[in-house]
Amino acid sequence: MNTGSWDIEVHGLTKTFGTVEAVTDLDFTVSPGTVTAFLGPNGAGKTTTMRMLLGLVTPTSGRATIGGLRYTELPRPAATVGAVLDTSGFHPDHTARDHLSVYARLGGFARSRVREVMDLTGVTPFAGRRTRALSTGMRRRLHLATALLGDPRVLLLDEPGNGLDPEGIAWLRRFLRELAAEGRTVLVSSHVLSEVEQMAERVVMIRDGRLVAAGAVADLYGEAAVRVRSPQAGPLTTALLAAYPGTVRVEALDQDTLRIHGLTTAGIAADAAARGIPLHEITPERPTLEHAFLHLTGHDQGDTR
Amino acid sequence: MTALVSLGRLVSAELRRLAATRLPMWGSLAALGSGGFVGLLALVGPENFDPPVPGLDTAPGVRMLLGLLGMCAFVPALLGTTAVASEYRHRTITTTALFAPRRWTMLAAKLTAYAIAGLAYGLIAVTVAGAALFGAAAIKGVVLGLPTATVLALLSRIAVTMAVYTLVGVAVGALIPNQVAAAAILGAYFYMIETALLLIPGVKELYPYLPGGATAALTGFTFLADALAEQMGGGATSLLSAPLGAAVLVGYALVAAAIAVIAPLRRDIT
Repeated sequence: MNTGSWDIEVHGLTKTFGTVEAVTDLDFTVSPGTVTAFLGPNGAGKTTTMRMLLGLVTPTSGRATIGGLRYTELPRPAATVGAVLDTSGFHPDHTARDHLSVYARLGGFARSRVREVMDLTGVTPFAGRRTRALSTGMRRRLHLATALLGDPRVLLLDEPGNGLDPEGIAWLRRFLRELAAEGRTVLVSSHVLSEVEQMAERVVMIRDGRLVAAGAVADLYGEAAVRVRSPQAGPLTTALLAAYPGTVRVEALDQDTLRIHGLTTAGIAADAAARGIPLHEITPERPTLEHAFLHLTGHDQGDTR
Repeated sequence: MTALVSLGRLVSAELRRLAATRLPMWGSLAALGSGGFVGLLALVGPENFDPPVPGLDTAPGVRMLLGLLGMCAFVPALLGTTAVASEYRHRTITTTALFAPRRWTMLAAKLTAYAIAGLAYGLIAVTVAGAALFGAAAIKGVVLGLPTATVLALLSRIAVTMAVYTLVGVAVGALIPNQVAAAAILGAYFYMIETALLLIPGVKELYPYLPGGATAALTGFTFLADALAEQMGGGATSLLSAPLGAAVLVGYALVAAAIAVIAPLRRDIT
């Protein structure tokens, strides 16, 4: 039995479908207590990896374990791991409550759990509605409720934000953070960085089935960057580099647009004003997934020096 | 012991899953319908058919009506197929596989649950048909051409056939995840393929062991076997005993179920 360490561990994991390598020699570990984002563009192999962790897809080679065991080796899998995989997966005749009752029985969980998870995930208001009539957001909540029936220590969620409205996403963020704070292991996949950056503290990034990076989300940001548009972009670059040698880095994005690293918006505005350089735009930049990939892989491009 | 407890849990979950769909409603209607159809024929009276056949007061007349009921056994088979294939169609199979990753146990639970449902179907159908047979005889003021005990025995054999056919349907549904294809293959086999197979020289000897032959042994209705003997000369094909026929049918269901389990063990659920 597991003595309390519910790590998700992936070692040398590879899956080929015919001649297509969906996942190649993947290695990473996800620890309990925080939300970990599983990031990558569509088709990067996130879903395949999650399905291998859940025993739904057999790896070509390598191991994918939860608490040191393969999913199918877990003594009570549904009481250990909860998973949300897609928005389908309901019998159209079943009501939300029927669906939960079937799986509560299948997992051997108390009938009272159905009521509890419905309240927890906000399913109660539509508990009596047939699943054929549920919206995408409701389906997401019902899947989450199903995953929580066994009060699992580990949660795997594949693109849970898809189809949720902003309010739903905010709710999901809060909810998953709370679950992680209770000491659960939470892995959430997404292809949109902004969706997970406010809830995840750690990140595993893959692309083309291979690991790009794994670490703290804070590391994604690298140094702060500010986007500046000015008709005198050239003189501004020269002035800033001269004023802060070695601490400021400037990327020329366009003829009149710069990305400046190492200065705040206030600092740049003050410097520009002091030199009489007009600014048409000054925006603090949040990194996109693309930037984060580039930053983490050390392939920054477009530096002027 | 724990394995039994967990199987019981899964069976109860499968029954709950089935009960919450509209299938029990359609199933009950179909069972009432097939029983009622035979009842209607009994009321009309076989002697009034076109062409006329022996009436209710003759053994062949009663056997023929019960034989027609027996032929309705493919309906619960189709319902079983539909129920299991819908797990794939609606993709609930993913969640089910997560909650019960040991697929042998999962399929065993389904087979058990649907054996119960199939038997319920059979009991409804034979109760209605039986009541109609005796009722029609009473109305017409005749005595059924078979002893009551024989009629009751034949009716219970038909109920068992329906339960076993449900199992066959479930196994086929598990084997062929495409709902429409599974139903079409099942229907085509019982209506065309088996009869066509019998035209191949030598296959006739195997007839007692084919699903149709085993069904005939179980229900005690031997239209096809008799017709074969008549048309091809040679002696009447001897059928298996009723319990052996049931065992052969259950065997087919188990083989199909085993293939259904072994195949998805290598099949990824994507």
